[in-house]
Amino acid sequence: MNTSIRRIYLAFTAGFLALILLLGYWQVVAADSLNDRPQNPQALQREKRVDRGTITTSDGILLAESTSKRVAGQDEFSRSYINGALAPHVVGYSSTREGKTGVESEYNRFLAGSFGDQPILDRLRRETKRGANITLTLDSRVQQAAVDALSGQRGAIVALDPTTGAVLAMASAPAFDLSDVESGFEAIRTADGSPLLNRATQGRYPPGSTFKVVTATAGLSTGQFVPSTRFDDTGSFDTPGGPIQNFGGAVFGDHNMIEALTRSINTTFARIGTTLGPSGIGNAMDGFGFGEEPPIDLPDDQVVASGRFDGGSLLPNDEAGIDTARIAIGQERLAVTPLQMALVAGAIANRGTMRQPYIVESAVDRGGKTVYEARVNDLKQSASAEVSEQVADMMTRVVLEGTGVAAALQGLSVAGKTGTAETEDAARNQAWFIGFAPAENPIAAIAVVIEDTSGTGGSVAAPAFADVMRAAVTAKG
Amino acid sequence: MTQGRRWRELGFLLPAAALGALAAGSVAASRTDELDLTPLPGALVILAVFLVMHMVLRVRAPLADPYVLPIVGVISGIGLAAVYRVDPSLAQDQVIWFAIGGAVFVGVIALLPDPRVLQSYRYLIGLGGVALLLITMAFGTTINGAKLWIELPGGQTVQLGEVAKVLIVIFIAGYLRDKREVLAIPDRSIGRIGLPAARHFGPVVVLVALALALVVVLNDFGTALLFFGAFLAMLYMATGRIAYVGAGTALFAAGSAVVYAAVPRVRDRVDAWLHPFDDPEGRGFQLVQSLYALADGGIGGRGLGKAFLVGEDGQRVIPALETDFIFSAVASELGYIGGVAVLLSFLLLMQRGFVISSEANDGFSKLLAGGLTAVLALQTLLIVGGVVRLVPLTGVTLPFMSYGGSSVVTNFGLIALLLAVSHRSRAGVPVRRRRGRE
Repeated sequence: MNTSIRRIYLAFTAGFLALILLLGYWQVVAADSLNDRPQNPQALQREKRVDRGTITTSDGILLAESTSKRVAGQDEFSRSYINGALAPHVVGYSSTREGKTGVESEYNRFLAGSFGDQPILDRLRRETKRGANITLTLDSRVQQAAVDALSGQRGAIVALDPTTGAVLAMASAPAFDLSDVESGFEAIRTADGSPLLNRATQGRYPPGSTFKVVTATAGLSTGQFVPSTRFDDTGSFDTPGGPIQNFGGAVFGDHNMIEALTRSINTTFARIGTTLGPSGIGNAMDGFGFGEEPPIDLPDDQVVASGRFDGGSLLPNDEAGIDTARIAIGQERLAVTPLQMALVAGAIANRGTMRQPYIVESAVDRGGKTVYEARVNDLKQSASAEVSEQVADMMTRVVLEGTGVAAALQGLSVAGKTGTAETEDAARNQAWFIGFAPAENPIAAIAVVIEDTSGTGGSVAAPAFADVMRAAVTAKG
Repeated sequence: MTQGRRWRELGFLLPAAALGALAAGSVAASRTDELDLTPLPGALVILAVFLVMHMVLRVRAPLADPYVLPIVGVISGIGLAAVYRVDPSLAQDQVIWFAIGGAVFVGVIALLPDPRVLQSYRYLIGLGGVALLLITMAFGTTINGAKLWIELPGGQTVQLGEVAKVLIVIFIAGYLRDKREVLAIPDRSIGRIGLPAARHFGPVVVLVALALALVVVLNDFGTALLFFGAFLAMLYMATGRIAYVGAGTALFAAGSAVVYAAVPRVRDRVDAWLHPFDDPEGRGFQLVQSLYALADGGIGGRGLGKAFLVGEDGQRVIPALETDFIFSAVASELGYIGGVAVLLSFLLLMQRGFVISSEANDGFSKLLAGGLTAVLALQTLLIVGGVVRLVPLTGVTLPFMSYGGSSVVTNFGLIALLLAVSHRSRAGVPVRRRRGRE
């Protein structure tokens, strides 16, 4: 009988072995993927035990930190936002109930301290997780200037360093205070003007005349036009889709391309667009990254692509059979984000090379070790250095003597372009200004959009540009 | 040196007690930042229970295996700490059940110096076991869809099935002891498989029928599996014929297939087992939450009392955490290392049981010890297997760990029987005529 007993013992032992192996599968092998499942309540609980890193601006202003309290013998952390209304869309919130947005989401790995490959011995040591501290590229002074410039209005401002791609300011109005997310999320979510929307990266606006910068670049790049090319304006340009007139019905007569941009002459740019055709315009749009989501370090669902839309869907930049005359002047269902237009201005400012935009400068762990550092990346070659210099010169004239004089700054050469897109209400406009300064050695490229205003790009957006640019110059020292 | 084994037992009981105290202490420490002595009285009671059991063994069964009690002590200590961690008031109840279990242990050791006398009462005992099951079928209260409990006037519930499991093992041991020879030597054959006369299988057919009736009437797949598995193990032990195991398994598989098709609750359990993540908020909820808790524990665990198992409102993260899923609680807080340690403790306990079985010098004692050990091992494999998704979930308890009086009390009786067998075989005194070594 003892043989049978031994065999049964062995059979049961095999069963125990199977239990041990399978337990190991769940606790070691599959643990990471189980922990990452979105409905896992353990993950939310784990969150409370994590001492998340801080988020500060490049000039050292603290925006987010974790504070701890003792609950039932354990440290429990909660997030507190200082200056929660300064850059709520960029910083984002980290809430056990509402999830994560912005940098809090995109850099969660670093903030929560799970960056890098943890050696098995570290995984055994279940101490309080301490996340790395993050420094943004945002400068609080530039950001504050952008917030102030938008105060009481709806719109967005993006300022970036065109030589690196670092975002100096990104503001969207109306905004909200990150400190209110935990207590009053529903009120924020349903508030008038959708404050949760980051208009800088998610708001799509008709670009109006700011798009003439793209058209000018296209015309010069193909070699079909030069700055001195002469045009004759009769106040109207016929297209298959009906005649195009100048803003306010103006007639400019004989002029060259520089003057066409300076005065924002619709008929001339419509003519250029018609000459270039879909491929000429399309190539330039490709070069500026239209039609793609800008690869900025924000969560994918908070960034949208710019381009020409048919209903809700994005069309190829060089779609045949389109009205290139109207695209050339920023119409024909073009819809662009402020970030996209800041990138356009930045590419012209940086001698034709568009840098990849980024918001986080670095992440440093609590031991002082840098665990992440932003790199300057080329995103696109939008134009040749020669063409971009020509366009920059034209844009300088816009501010010197054209539609953008309100953007001028004492002692600085400012390059820019206004835009005033009509809305359904004939008396209301979307006012745009894009530009950079100093023209010869740019500190910042900025895009401003003001929604639903009685003013024009030159009267409301250009002064906002000037305010933010002044702050950027001061911040630069 | 007849007391040598008992000194060894005491020597192992002390570290087991220290481990239990440490476990309870860490749970208490994780609750507040102050020194919390509330688990101390309970811990002292448990210590006293084990010391009394030890003393009774010294007097009545000095030659019994010295390792069983310390291993049970380790498992009990961790189990009690886990129950205390889930709900301190449940732990108080559990301490009382351990005391009663200790009393049953003492009673068995004191009143049953020779377990072989049970052989004479095998049919009576078997009938008693069946009666307990029938009472459950007739008067049982349904909890969580399964009819396993008898409600007493005081509102307490008892699981008579737990007691029945020991009684039926005693019956099977006695029965197989009688029929060993005829079952082992076939008198006819079908093809190459030899078969004994059909009449010898009468009680077997009754048992299979009873097991399946359990499933259908009580909705208790786990206990049925337990009975049947133990029976097959004992049948194999008695006859050494794998064909019986194969035939029995096939029979049970066929029956289970019918049950799967006919009983929605069983179907749900199997579906939840195969595809837990298809319906993580419904059918798969319990298992999925348990897997999350296991994953959270990782290799080293968060430490007793520190995992997220009970919400601030006292709501368990995993339903039936203190009973069916007590192993998840332990493995979540003590990690893979702790989970494996607990499983190895059960493996050791099983090993001692089979050693006792093979050391016994008569057929009945061998079958009894082997059967009781098989029940313990199978129960562990079934419930932990359910928790780690090796097999579908069945509502059997984890011996000495799950919260529940019937289970604790019965298992102490079971251990007492094992130790009685162990002492008797060492003492080597035959009750009636000696049949030589088996």
